Amino acid sequence: MALIQARGLSKTFGNKAAVRGLSFDVVPGSVTGFLGPNGAGKSTTMRLMLGLDNGEGVTTYDGVAYRDLKQPLRHVGSVLDAKPFHPTRKAVNHLRMLAISNDIPTTRVTDVINIVGLGDVANAKPKTFSLGMGQRLGIATALLGDPSTLILDEPANGLDPQGVHWLRNMLKTLAAQGRSIFVSSHLLSEMALMADHLVVVGRGMLIASGKMSDFISTSARNAVVIRVDNPELMTRELRARNAAVVTEPDGKLAVTGMDSDAVGNLAHELGVRIFELSNRQATLEEAFLDATGASEEFRASMGFGAQQPGLGGPGFGGPMAGAPPGYGAPPPGYGPSAGYGAPPGYGSPPGYGPTQGYGAPSPGYGPAPGYGAPPNQPPAQHASQDGDDNR
Amino acid sequence: MTGALKYEWVRIRTIASSYWMSGLAIGLSAATALLIALFSSAGDIEELNIVQFTSWVVTAGASFPLIPVLAAPFFATMGAMAMGHEYRYGTNKATLTALPDRVAVYAAKVIILVGWVTAAVAAILLLDLAMAWLFMSNPTLSSDAIRPVVNYWGYCVGFALAGLSLSAVFRNQTGAIVAVLVWPYVIEPIIYGVLGAIGSSSDAGIIRLTNLLPSSAGRRSIFDPYELAGFGGAIDTWGVGASTLVFWVGVLIVVGAGVASFINRDA
Ligand SMILES: Nc1ncnc2c1ncn2[C@@H]1O[C@H](COP(=O)(O)OP(=O)(O)OP(=O)(O)O)[C@@H](O)[C@H]1O
Ligand SMILES: [Mg+2]
Repeated sequence: MALIQARGLSKTFGNKAAVRGLSFDVVPGSVTGFLGPNGAGKSTTMRLMLGLDNGEGVTTYDGVAYRDLKQPLRHVGSVLDAKPFHPTRKAVNHLRMLAISNDIPTTRVTDVINIVGLGDVANAKPKTFSLGMGQRLGIATALLGDPSTLILDEPANGLDPQGVHWLRNMLKTLAAQGRSIFVSSHLLSEMALMADHLVVVGRGMLIASGKMSDFISTSARNAVVIRVDNPELMTRELRARNAAVVTEPDGKLAVTGMDSDAVGNLAHELGVRIFELSNRQATLEEAFLDATGASEEFRASMGFGAQQPGLGGPGFGGPMAGAPPGYGAPPPGYGPSAGYGAPPGYGSPPGYGPTQGYGAPSPGYGPAPGYGAPPNQPPAQHASQDGDDNR
Repeated sequence: MTGALKYEWVRIRTIASSYWMSGLAIGLSAATALLIALFSSAGDIEELNIVQFTSWVVTAGASFPLIPVLAAPFFATMGAMAMGHEYRYGTNKATLTALPDRVAVYAAKVIILVGWVTAAVAAILLLDLAMAWLFMSNPTLSSDAIRPVVNYWGYCVGFALAGLSLSAVFRNQTGAIVAVLVWPYVIEPIIYGVLGAIGSSSDAGIIRLTNLLPSSAGRRSIFDPYELAGFGGAIDTWGVGASTLVFWVGVLIVVGAGVASFINRDA
């Protein structure tokens, strides 16, 4: 069991609408990223999904509402806060307490502690834990019941690069086993590597939901970039055929709304000489910034928009204009993949475990020599990691 | 419900404060019982008084009006922590995702807390009895001591439940501890003083309203019969039955508010 269906989720704090009529699906076998600017309502949505906040709408897990799940930890694991435990209750006791509430055998407590790499500090008091260690304990609680669904609010917050890498691999492995993983994060490059589906919100409303590749392909940053001998003629004729054209600072033309074959053919018909033609693929970050630009609630005075030259060309509409066409409903024919099911027993599923070489953060644990951002983790990510403190 | 009980049973046993609070309650009470026992054997006490003295020793002084129920603040604090910790450290979301049935969670907290406090009060009474038998010259336990002892237990349980429920109402542990301690020791005495002043100057009947102060009523329900007799008269104090009732109505109002808050509000 793992299909999550959220329908009409709404929540108002005082007169502030935090979540407005959100509906989306999270399908088994996928990591679904939950994106949105600060204050967009991601955490509130997750609390609504888990029956913690009173609001409108229903969320079902294979048809059953959270409050009606018997022993819910065996179905849905969640992490909502960075340090959700008593500072002087030993980590192992914290887990035992939650495990026993759902009749989960205590041997599983040892398993999950080792899975998250806290084996050496199992008997330590969490008040001594760093942010990342606390986050690992939170992840351990989510894994306790070997659930088929995980709902994680910024689980990578505070994790070191090895931890982020470990988390990504673990979530992908769990998803590949047929589970549903719903995870929010502001680490977009991380999300790009991890998620295959997205739910994007802004100001409490749905901006997009569906496959990540579809989301990115709607970005205005996807373009056919050409350098030609007669840009004026080319621009005029392209626009006459409803393509959007932006002249870039270096004189190249960025064409959207027409594929590269069509652009090449048109140039040929017009007798325009092409010196360069390439397809430019937007990154998730670019697509996200495009889509949420207008719904960013807490805009910094030196906004990142200024650092994005070329953004906002013709065809770049505010997201509130509506979800991109064809977006919304999950692809038809979707369903649990064959052979899907929680692995029998309580052993840790094969293929995931603490990253090789990661021990418990011992005193004096620090960057290894030559330690730096692993490939796939541009430095920018670390900068943003500090900023998205999950309250 | 069994899941919630198991959870709460592990919860209460895995924090040091449970043992600290119970230990202090037991230790302080036993020490007081010891002092009264030693005092009684030092002096020359008439037969009537030895019955009274014995009842004071077994209730750690609580059946004597001038000695407060020393254990109650500790149990009240434990109660406030039973729910207050959840808010203070944000574990309430983890708890309620594991146990979405909030009524069961609240009920489990009440049941385990009452059981724990009952065990601790039993320990106090046993130690008090030991003090009486070891250090009084001829301790004499009469059936007059039964009602003070039972209400002593009820007073401790009531304060623990009030602490628990206030932390659910305030969603704040410190606020709950302050409230549950300030009410009996500050607020009610002030109301007593104000009503007394009004009563002596103008309307003597108004002082009867003090009968409705739940903490004072609970306190009176523990007094031994001789003290209680002396206590009434002048201000028309209600009897033990009515006082016990007032105490429990007060406790139940707070518990009701706590349950309503816990069940209906956002986690
Ligand atoms: N308990 C609360 N009381 C009042 N307002 C709240 C509460 N929780 C959230 N809000 C408001 O609801 C909106 C959505 O908040 P939420 O925490 O869900 O956003 P988010 O998408 O998780 O943001 P972030 O990326 O910063 O974590 C915000 O405007 C916030 O101020
Ligand atoms: Mg959030």
